[in-house]
Amino acid sequence: MDHAETTPHRYTSPKVVFLILFIATIVEVGATLAGVPRKLLVPALLSISFVKAALVALYFMHLRYEKLIYGVIFITPAAFAILLMVILATR
Amino acid sequence: MNETPALPGATLSAPALSNLSRKFGFWLFLSSELLIFCGLIGALLVTKSYAKEWPTAQELSLWLVSINTFLLLTSSLTVVLAIDAVRSGKTRPVPVYILISALLGVAFLAGQAVEYTHLITVEGHGFGDSFGTAFFILTGLHGLHVFVGVLWAFGVAARARARAYSATNYTSIEVFGLYWHFVDLVWILIFTVVYLIS
Repeated sequence: MDHAETTPHRYTSPKVVFLILFIATIVEVGATLAGVPRKLLVPALLSISFVKAALVALYFMHLRYEKLIYGVIFITPAAFAILLMVILATR
Repeated sequence: MNETPALPGATLSAPALSNLSRKFGFWLFLSSELLIFCGLIGALLVTKSYAKEWPTAQELSLWLVSINTFLLLTSSLTVVLAIDAVRSGKTRPVPVYILISALLGVAFLAGQAVEYTHLITVEGHGFGDSFGTAFFILTGLHGLHVFVGVLWAFGVAARARARAYSATNYTSIEVFGLYWHFVDLVWILIFTVVYLIS
């Protein structure tokens, strides 16, 4: 049986977050097709994708409004993921 | 006097405690899934650094994959709108939102099928080359997650249509939302690492 006994939060508009994600994706694709130098492109693309992933986790998955423990559970492997991707993609 | 100490969360009713456990367990599951994808992305990057040849963004059908990315982002939006609607007691549009998400997921899988066909038949990639092995395992596992999510979404939509969710009963749809957004989050990373930084 389901029964949520939590008070609903006032969430940031998902449409605003979606618009940011949409524009960021266009910027990413545009930068790739425009032939931006690789030394600039790779850190920029990685930064944008991490921001996009963070927006999804914080606002779509409601991590920002959830209990701290969920954030700790999820951010710990995410930190490893970010570290690994940065090291391997930029070398 | 020997009093039994109150357990953490003892003030919550049994169903509320059960919901907390489900969400906690699901976050643990998602974090382990993230490590699996992290390992596969790392394997692809290492394979790429040793490979003699690697396809360019154009060879990887960048336009098609970009459209697929927008499909997945939009499907995440409709899932959030469904959860927000059910939280505020407006259950009427919930099945429609979830159904749209499921159909967008189906469209994503169709796009992935077209992309795979192009890579195998035109570009000649497969499990025989290092790119094909790393690429198909990573994106194939993600596609499998989308497929599971689509099936789950159809189930959630059917339950929502049967008015199974309400403003005080929405943990199931919330857990489905966590899964669907996670699939979207992983795709954001795959899209950048595999298709844009190629």
